[in-house]
Amino acid sequence: MTGCCRPETLEDALSILSRQGAQVLAGGTDWMVKHGQQGPHGGPVLYIAELAELRQIAVHGGEIHIGAACTLTELLESPLVPDCLKQPLAQMASPAIRNIATIGGNLCNASPAADALPMLSAMDAMLSLRSHKAEERLPAEDFLLAPGKPRLAQGQLLVEIHVPLSPKWDCVYRKVGLRRANSLSKVSFCALSDKKAGYVQDVRIAFGAVAPRVVRSREAEKRILSSGHPLTDDQIQAIAAEYGKLLKPIDDARSSRAYRREVSLRLLKWYLREGMNA
Amino acid sequence: MEAITRTAKRLDFDDKISGAARYCADLRPEGLLYAKTLRSQRPRAWLRQVFVPPLPEGYCVIDHHDIPGTNIVPIVTDDQPFFAADAVNYVGEPILLVVGPDRYVLNSLLNQIRVVYEDRPPILSLEAAMARTGDFISGHQPWFTAYEYEKGDIEEAIHQAADCVEDTFYTGYQEQAYLETQGMVAALEEGVVTIRGSMQCPYYIQSALKQALGWEDSRIRVIQAPTGGGFGGKEEYPSIPAVHAALAAIKTGKPVQLVFERGEDILCTTKRHPALIRLKSYLDTGGRILGRQIDINADAGAYAGLSSVVLQRMVYSCAGVYDVNNLRVRGRAYATSKAPSGAFRGFGGPQAFFAIEMHMEHLARHLKADPIALRRRHFLHQGGTTSTGGLLRSPVQLGRMADMVCEMSGYAHKRTAPKPLSGKLRGVGCSLFFHGCGFTGAGERDLLKPSVRLCRAADGTVQVYASSAELGQGAMTILSKIAACTLGIPPEKVRCGYPDTKLCPDSGPTVASRTAMVVGRLVHEAALKLKARWEEPVCQAEAGFQYPVGFSWDKDIHRGDAYLEYSWGANVVEIELDPVTCAYEIVGAWAVFDIGTPLDEGIVAGQIEGGMAQGLGYGAMEVLEYRDGRPLQRGFTDYSLPTTLDLPPVKWRLVESHSDLGPYGARGLGELSLVGAAPALAAAVENAIGKPVRKLPVTPEYILELMHHG
Repeated sequence: MTGCCRPETLEDALSILSRQGAQVLAGGTDWMVKHGQQGPHGGPVLYIAELAELRQIAVHGGEIHIGAACTLTELLESPLVPDCLKQPLAQMASPAIRNIATIGGNLCNASPAADALPMLSAMDAMLSLRSHKAEERLPAEDFLLAPGKPRLAQGQLLVEIHVPLSPKWDCVYRKVGLRRANSLSKVSFCALSDKKAGYVQDVRIAFGAVAPRVVRSREAEKRILSSGHPLTDDQIQAIAAEYGKLLKPIDDARSSRAYRREVSLRLLKWYLREGMNA
Repeated sequence: MEAITRTAKRLDFDDKISGAARYCADLRPEGLLYAKTLRSQRPRAWLRQVFVPPLPEGYCVIDHHDIPGTNIVPIVTDDQPFFAADAVNYVGEPILLVVGPDRYVLNSLLNQIRVVYEDRPPILSLEAAMARTGDFISGHQPWFTAYEYEKGDIEEAIHQAADCVEDTFYTGYQEQAYLETQGMVAALEEGVVTIRGSMQCPYYIQSALKQALGWEDSRIRVIQAPTGGGFGGKEEYPSIPAVHAALAAIKTGKPVQLVFERGEDILCTTKRHPALIRLKSYLDTGGRILGRQIDINADAGAYAGLSSVVLQRMVYSCAGVYDVNNLRVRGRAYATSKAPSGAFRGFGGPQAFFAIEMHMEHLARHLKADPIALRRRHFLHQGGTTSTGGLLRSPVQLGRMADMVCEMSGYAHKRTAPKPLSGKLRGVGCSLFFHGCGFTGAGERDLLKPSVRLCRAADGTVQVYASSAELGQGAMTILSKIAACTLGIPPEKVRCGYPDTKLCPDSGPTVASRTAMVVGRLVHEAALKLKARWEEPVCQAEAGFQYPVGFSWDKDIHRGDAYLEYSWGANVVEIELDPVTCAYEIVGAWAVFDIGTPLDEGIVAGQIEGGMAQGLGYGAMEVLEYRDGRPLQRGFTDYSLPTTLDLPPVKWRLVESHSDLGPYGARGLGELSLVGAAPALAAAVENAIGKPVRKLPVTPEYILELMHHG
C-alpha cells in the first residue's frame, strides 16, 4: 500500500516535506485520473486538503490571500474573491469536481491548459511558496516552467495565492472548449481593463493553452495603451502580429495548432476593436 | 391513446435506481481471478515471438494454444481470430491473457512480457486503402465487400440530363461510449461454462463459445448481467472477451472476471464506420432529379466483422426518402489496419442520410430552390417503390411530417430571418429520413428464425422467455407489457428477466430496431396462444417468426423488400454561431417521428431524446481520429460527448400511424432517433455560414477552415 501522511498542521506538513519527497495531494481530481489505472503510487503521499492554514480566504493590505487548498466552489462562493477571477473558475469542470478540486492543485498540476493561471497572471497575482525554513513570493506568471513542471523546489509547498484587489478591472474572459462543461480549454483569453472617465488607463491580456506557459506581454500592453483611442485597424494588426510571435500552440487530441492560433488572434482583435470599449 | 401507450413503471427501475443492480464488475464469486489482455502495439505485423517472464504461483497465461475448437470469431466472414496466432492486424488486437488473483500484479506482468514483431506495411486510412494497389489485407482487392445495384435506366437519365450536381462527403468515427465498459465473468459450474456479462446478443456469444470450445450447447450457458448501455458496441464485440474469460475459467477451474478499462475499450472495440460518399444527381431543365449515382466507401478496419451488413444498410438508405427512378448505387467496405468498425445505433444509416440530406441542400442551393420544397417534389409515397424496388405498402406521411416539424420550429421564418444584432450567426436546417426496421432483407427468416416462449405458472403469473437484452432501452418492460395487454392481465402478473440461454429460446440479437416490432410481435402471438389455453393451470406457448406473405427479397441482385417495415423521421435543428471562435450552440431541436403505435410513452421519450443527443454529438463534437493506427482520443476528457449544457430540450411529436406487422401497430424506434440529427445540424451550420458543409463532425476547427477557404 501507498504510505500516506495526513499532518494536522502546515508546519508538520512542511517538516515532512523537508525530510522526504512526497506526492502532495489535495482534491486529487487530476492525480487520481493519472494514477487510477496504474495501481498504487510508488512513493508516499502527503494529504493537505484539510490543513486549516491552507483553507482561508482573507484580505490583507490591498490583497486577497487565498489558501491553496480552497476548493473552486469555496472561491466561487466567497464574497471576497474578485468577479474576474470567478469567471474562469465558474467554467471549469463540473459542480462535483469544483466541490473537491483546489485552486492550488490547478496551478501545481502545471498544465498549459489550466484555467486559473491566465487570469491570475493577468491580475499580477503572486504565489506564496513555503518550505520548512523559508518563504518566497513568486509572480503567478512565472510559476510554470514547462508543461507538468511547476517552479517548486524540493520541500516547497504552494500555500497561498495573493491577488491585488485594485484596480477594479473590467473583465472579459473567453474559454473555448470542447463543450460547455467538463471541458479542457482549446484556447482561453483574459483581458482586463481599467477605465477612468471612459478612457482605458491600464490593460492586461493573457492567453492560456496556446503555449507551454501563459502568454502575456507587457510591451504589447504598453503599446495598446499608447495607441490612442479607438485603435486603428493598422494598430490592431500590428499588435496582433506582436502576440502572434508569442503563441506556440500545438496539435493535439482536442484541437489544431491553426485553430488555436487563429482564434486567439481573432479574440484579441475583437477585444481591441469592440470588447475593450464596451 | 391506446392503453399500451401509457407509461408503465419499468421492470429494471428499482434495481437500477437503488443501486442494487449488480453489473459485471460487481460480480465477485468465491475464488475470483482477474484477467488482463496483452494487446498488439503494432498496426500490422507478423508475430514472431512472445517472451513471458516466469509467473508467480497462481498466475497463468491464456493464448491461442488454449483454444480447443476453432480460433475464428463466428460473424459473417471467417477472418478474425479470438487470439492473434501468427499475425496482428491492428493496434489493440488481443494476443494473450494473464490471469491471477491480483490486478496490479497482472498489470506488472503485462509490462514484463516482450513481443517480437516483424512489421508489415500498414494501411492507416480509408483514403490509403482506396489507393492501395497491392499487399492487401484481405484477398486480392483492397475491400472486404463490394455491392452494386441499379434501378431504372441510369445511362438514359445521364443522357437526358440538362444539368448535374456532384458532392463528396466524409463522416468520421463515433464511439458508442456506453457507461459500462465491456466486461465478462466466466465460471465452470459442473462441467458447464457459464458466462455472465454486459451484452446485447446472448446467442451470438453462445455460438462463439461453441466454436472456440467445440463443446455441445448443453455445456454452454450465457446470462446477461445488467448492462450499462450497448448502442451496438455490445452486439458482435462481446464474443471476444466472453471466449477469453471462458478459456481462462476452464484452464484455472476458477471464476474469472475480464473487465476493460476505458482507454482499452476505446482502443480495441468496434466503432461507427467512417465513410466517404460521393453523390451525383442528374437534373432535367425543370430542376427535377432524373437520376442519381451514389458511391459509398466505408472504413471497415482490419477484419470484415459486420461491415458487409452495415454496408447493405448504407447502400439501401443512401437514396434517402426520395423517389428517383434511375439509380446506380455502389458500395465498398475497405480493409484498413485499425480496430474493426462495427455495429452502432443507426448501422450505416447516419452516414448515408448525412450524405443524401446535405446533397439535397446543395441541390436546392444550386437550383435556388427552397430546400424543403425541393424535397417535397421527390418524396417517396405509398404505392411507390424503394431504391431496391420494394413496394411501400403503408402510408408514407413525409409531407405531413415536414409540415409539422416546420410549424413546430418556425423553420420557414428562421431560414430567412435577418442576422441577429448580437453579431452571432443563426442558422436552421432540416432532415428527412427513414430507418428500416429489423434485419436487412430476409435476414429475419433466413438467418435468425427467432422464437419466444411464454409460460403460465400455477399462481397465474406469466413468464416471458426471450433472448432480448435489457440495455436501458426498456426491452423487458415492453415485452412484458405486450404479454400483459394481450392476455388482459395486470402487468405485475408478467415477469421478464435478463436473458439466459439455458432458459430462453433464441429470439435473435437485440439490435436493428427489431425488439419491439419483431420480438414484440412474437410475444403477442405466443400470448394469444396462451390465452386460448388459459383454463389450463400450467401451460406454455411458443411463437416463431413467419415471413409476411407478399414480401420478397433477392440478395444477389439487391431486389425487393430490403426491409419489412420502415419508420420515418423529420428533424429541424437551430444553431447560433460565434463568428470569432466558430464555436456554436445548438439552440433548438425539433422532431416528428412515425413509429406506428408508441408502446410506452416514457420509453419512447427516452429513445427519442437519447437518440437525438447521440446524433447531435455525432454531428457536432464527437471527434475520434487515428494517428499511426491509434486513436488520439482515449478517454472522455478528450473524446467529447455532449453534456446537458450542450443540448437544448428536444421538442418532439409523433404522427398517428399503424403498422400491420408490429404488435399493436408498432414499428422500430431505437435507431431512428439518431439518424437525422447530424444532417439537420450540419444544414443549420451551412445556413449560418453560407458555405457548404461536407464533413462530420462539424467542429469549430472545420468551420474556421470553411470560412477561410471554403
